[in-house]
Amino acid sequence: MGRIVVCIKGVPKPGTVKVDKETHTLRRESAELILNPPDRSALEVALRLKDQANFEVIAISMGPPNMVPLLQKVYALGVDDLYLISDRAFAGSDTLATSRILARVLSLLSPFDLVVMGARSIDGETGQVPPETASLLKLPSITYVKEIRFVDGKFVAIREDDFGEEEVEFPSPAVVSIVPEIDYVRPPSLKRLLSLKEITPKILTNAELNLDEASIGLSGSPTQVADVFEKSFVSRGEIFEGEPDELAEKLIEILKEKGFLA
Amino acid sequence: MLIEFPLKEEHKIMIELIKEIGGTYIKPYSLEWDEKEAYDATPIKALAQADLFGLIIPKEYGGLGFGTFEMCLAVEWLSYFCAGVSTTYAASFLGAYPILLFGSKEQKERYLPSIAKGEKLCAFALTEPQAGSDAFAIKTTAKKYGDFYILNGIKQWITNGGIADIYIVIALTDPAKGARGASAFIVEKGDPGFVVGKKEKKLGLRASITTDLIFNDCRIPKERVIAKEGMGFMVALKTLDYARCGAGAQALGIAQAALEVSLKHAKTRVQFGQPVYQFQAVSHTFAEMAMRLTSARALVYSVCQYIYSGAKDFSGASAMAKSFATDQAMWITERAIQMMGGYGYMMDYPVQKFFRDAKCLQIYEGTNEIQRNVIARELAKWIKV
Amino acid sequence: MTECIFAFGQCLEGKLHPASLEILTPLREVADRLNKRLILIGLTDDKEKFLAIPELKKLLADEVWCIAHPNLKHLPDDLCERVFVYLASEHKPYGIFFPATKKGLSVAPRVAGSLQAGLCAHVNAFEIKDGNLFLLRPTYGENIIAKLTSRTLSIIATVALNAFPIKEAKKEPLIKELKLPEGFDWSTKLTIKNFKPAKKEPSRLSVAKVVVAGGMGLKSKENFQMLFELAKILNAEVGGTRPAVHAGWVEAERMIGVSGVSVRPKLYLAFGISGAIQHTVGMEGSEFIVSINIDKEAPMMKMAHVGFVCDAPSFLKALLRKLKAKD
Repeated sequence: MGRIVVCIKGVPKPGTVKVDKETHTLRRESAELILNPPDRSALEVALRLKDQANFEVIAISMGPPNMVPLLQKVYALGVDDLYLISDRAFAGSDTLATSRILARVLSLLSPFDLVVMGARSIDGETGQVPPETASLLKLPSITYVKEIRFVDGKFVAIREDDFGEEEVEFPSPAVVSIVPEIDYVRPPSLKRLLSLKEITPKILTNAELNLDEASIGLSGSPTQVADVFEKSFVSRGEIFEGEPDELAEKLIEILKEKGFLA
Repeated sequence: MLIEFPLKEEHKIMIELIKEIGGTYIKPYSLEWDEKEAYDATPIKALAQADLFGLIIPKEYGGLGFGTFEMCLAVEWLSYFCAGVSTTYAASFLGAYPILLFGSKEQKERYLPSIAKGEKLCAFALTEPQAGSDAFAIKTTAKKYGDFYILNGIKQWITNGGIADIYIVIALTDPAKGARGASAFIVEKGDPGFVVGKKEKKLGLRASITTDLIFNDCRIPKERVIAKEGMGFMVALKTLDYARCGAGAQALGIAQAALEVSLKHAKTRVQFGQPVYQFQAVSHTFAEMAMRLTSARALVYSVCQYIYSGAKDFSGASAMAKSFATDQAMWITERAIQMMGGYGYMMDYPVQKFFRDAKCLQIYEGTNEIQRNVIARELAKWIKV
Repeated sequence: MTECIFAFGQCLEGKLHPASLEILTPLREVADRLNKRLILIGLTDDKEKFLAIPELKKLLADEVWCIAHPNLKHLPDDLCERVFVYLASEHKPYGIFFPATKKGLSVAPRVAGSLQAGLCAHVNAFEIKDGNLFLLRPTYGENIIAKLTSRTLSIIATVALNAFPIKEAKKEPLIKELKLPEGFDWSTKLTIKNFKPAKKEPSRLSVAKVVVAGGMGLKSKENFQMLFELAKILNAEVGGTRPAVHAGWVEAERMIGVSGVSVRPKLYLAFGISGAIQHTVGMEGSEFIVSINIDKEAPMMKMAHVGFVCDAPSFLKALLRKLKAKD
């Protein structure tokens, strides 16, 4: 039976995120966490391969302890095993440090056929972790994938490219990143939802991973935030107050003046 | 609404799941499906992956082993989102019941696992052009030839025609025997001599498929008979006893949706300087809607509990649940249109769909007139003179 | 050593991706201020076709290096990585910059991983202070620009799309073919079985002259839908913020902002949009910005040329009513 590892991330629900004023990184503990939407697509792709060719699907996630309810929901979608990678030492990692951590976990979970991740997270939005992790593991990476076919023991990915659509055949093991929107994602299973209380993910701390502290967390991150500043907007235009009707009338007047309306 | 019926944790989990499915796979599309008369397999696929087709299938065949109560909860909430989709779902259980209640071990092993996974949908075929309420007037025949039965005839207005893989067909094996002259058969899609007619155009439940079934020397192996020859009407009537609550549950979901949409409108629509809900003609109507919906709900689930308690004879009870709830849904949806005024009449708004969907419920699975016959007959047994 | 800055020239079938030209604009300034040579690295399978690209003679780099090999036809990520890692070890560039195209976003992290170097994403502004380069990018959530620096050299970054205009050089760059050593490994693990060039035109939203956009201030999907009516009347395209897309009010293709669409219309109407940085970077180049928001202090209100302090749904309803009445 082949093995697929899906890397998922809990991200703050849009509109609820707070930035730590000192380190300028996300205050993840305080936000309401949701599953990074592209990761839902990644899970779907992995689960379709499980349906089709009986792969074992393991979900791993780097995050704080409040990720557990989210991981339980991921179990309900149909994964076979869950790992939470959590340690204070990991906090503040940039994408290189994160990739180092994931690469170590993936080595511990090998052999595997495929690593699947969402193409980007909606909080950091870099999209860097899948290819970066792949290169640390010296594995090929195939990004922006819409669909994976497993035919005659070979993987073929349909991916979006800047100039069009590509069909790429690749050997396993490999790292694949999945585009946010795919045609269909499955709902959770009632059987699994009814047994959710018994599910706990296995926890991996740095004690198990044994990574040099200088290579992880803030100290392991070559990109540093030198400064942050609010983009200050000096009000440059006129502000009108009043009732909707009169304000709408005013806008129509302005648009006519400027030639946007006849 | 004004009463919260206590629910077990597992029921709450199931309802949350159905709300998630409804919101994701049904709500954004239901008006479009209704307008285009389109059957979309996507919500059915989602329900299958969510294990919901296994709801009342026993655990040993891959199901969840729940009963009528849970099925009604599921059907009610699905109907809240789209009664067309819940009809496809509920009708599949209607077709599965004969196998569940009367099937042999071999038949259960052969069919129930794929039904539970939602891989195969079912359909139940009793009605014919000349045999609606008068179910005994069916003419489709099943003649035995050695190891086979040959079926000839037409079934009319069968839900899930064409998309189902498993069809329960009631046909006459011995016309001379009258009520004991029919048998129930399992016909599979692909059996030689079995074709599906064109899709019917309906007033409502337009996301569900209704077709004729045509049997032209349709040949099926003799193992396909359910129970034994002569049991056909018994199988059919017992199946309908169980399924009636489901139709009642559909009515609850539709009525709930209609009530919510029209109530929200009444609270925000301002006429003569105030929300129209402030006018007694309007608020009293809603009070009436709430009473009727709540009493219908209480009746449907009481009957479910009665069946669960092991009642042997519940034809009258389930007939009451079906006819009362579906009549209330018709009343409520009609009033909901009225309370929304012009907005109720416009096809861009969902209330008119609830009204059209509700109408079918008073007719199918035994018209409400036939239900009253059943109730009256059962009632008469109570008083000895 | 560390005297040059590399920029990735992404091309296919003899055409350079416009983003590769865009990024040369800020890099030219950086190169001038820090006294480095700016070199465009073009990877291709067809040397003749590449060298015949008309834009080559007018682009802002000091040099253009063409690296050609049949295996580079579809720019497989692992091979591109190997080429850049080789160039980095040979020339120790001060920085390596990729456009934030899908290819750039796929190759840059592999290069950074191999070199164990920092990688900044979606940079949309550069700053030089005391001879050090800082990379600016909008950051999540609040109205904050992060100024990033890399503790390692080479500085590797992907540069945001549509953030810079293409400019032409006064002087022609030195164009040459760069041959890699004999034993260089040109293999790739990826086999392209089929390639379908994109048939669909660039999103109409990205080239629209008038954009009407909505955010959470519109309060519901039903209200958001009114923007489509308004768009019909104004002959505009509809856009939305990330929270509005996430709420399911509008499809993801219409999201304006970082990793969404960038727009530069003549008229931008913002309904109920607070103006989080992730959104404004996608539309701040708009010629005339109108904002309707109940919060007078919202950043979008300050950024707008005209602001209306009003509940967005009510304003939109009134506006539609009036515009329809005029027909």
